[in-house]
Amino acid sequence: MPLSLTLNEGIRALARVDTRPDGCQCQVLPYFAVLDLARGLGRNQGHSKAQPHSKAMASVELSALELGIIPERYQRNSTAYSFAEQIRLLQSRVAMVGLGGLGGHVLEILARTGVGHICAADGDEFQPSNLNRQLLCTRRSLSGYKAAAAAARVQLVNPAVDFEPVAAYLDEELMERFLKGANLAVDALGGLKDRPALLRQAARAGIPLVTAAVAGQAGYVATVLPGAIGPSDIFGADSETAENTLGTPAPAVVMAAALMSAEVLNILCGREPRLTGAMLVFDLEGMSFERVSL
Amino acid sequence: MHVSIKCFATLSRFTPPEAEAFAIAPGETAGGLAQRLGIPMAELKLIFINGAHVEPDAPLADGDRVGLFPAVGGG
Repeated sequence: MPLSLTLNEGIRALARVDTRPDGCQCQVLPYFAVLDLARGLGRNQGHSKAQPHSKAMASVELSALELGIIPERYQRNSTAYSFAEQIRLLQSRVAMVGLGGLGGHVLEILARTGVGHICAADGDEFQPSNLNRQLLCTRRSLSGYKAAAAAARVQLVNPAVDFEPVAAYLDEELMERFLKGANLAVDALGGLKDRPALLRQAARAGIPLVTAAVAGQAGYVATVLPGAIGPSDIFGADSETAENTLGTPAPAVVMAAALMSAEVLNILCGREPRLTGAMLVFDLEGMSFERVSL
Repeated sequence: MHVSIKCFATLSRFTPPEAEAFAIAPGETAGGLAQRLGIPMAELKLIFINGAHVEPDAPLADGDRVGLFPAVGGG
């Protein structure tokens, strides 16, 4: 019997019907059923590890979704992301540069939502001044590579994600290689210096770039399509930046990361980018948001 | 003629007391307004009027919402 049939039968056998809080019924593949089926798949493919392999977990989740059965861990993504969109997310590849304040929170959201393939680069190590806002910075991860903490976190949060950490600063040449095969680039860099290069390379790769920056209680998020003008064209690479004076407090950083993630997920789902040719500017001190067309 | 002014981040220190209805002269430009507020041009990177990015020589009209933004790069 072909393996896929066996897997599909296993999924159908282990699925249960759940009633949502609104009364709608849906078929759900329980969390532990995904693990069991992935272990079985791994054994068939010659893996002997007790921990299911990330590829096997992703296969089980994809097969379930194709049968119209939602893996329990994605149950509350519904109906923000349809079955077809959840499948697209699992098949997407995101390339992120920067795993600090913005990057750590974006990574957390993308991994939890179920983006299947994420590569992320940061050559930096954690220091105590990162503790105020950086999700991946803990007493335990201090002095360690941000990329290593990111890999450990993704494994803990959603091992079905195929995560590729790169503990290096990328120059423009490395950026070009890093973006190959990605559907979308995330600019989670700190400072202005490297942002124009990333914008150029995303354009060369022909993929959208979702970018953001904060200073104090203010910040912005923007989407730049290949060839279009972006915030880094306006701010330049060597201006004195406001965060050097105002710092980077957690609310603005997390807000920017959440807005970035929502836009990244929109785009990966195949929807129109909402922030094309625009910046969403916010100020949490005055609680104001404004969309600025560039 | 009056405009409303929003100064972001480090520029907020230049916010005038009457920012919600700030009197402007006929023919005054966005850049001229920023200069009148004392904002150093090197610190002013992005000007927007009514949600659209403009150059400093953009003229102001009664009721415009003016946003002034410095270089921001924190992450």
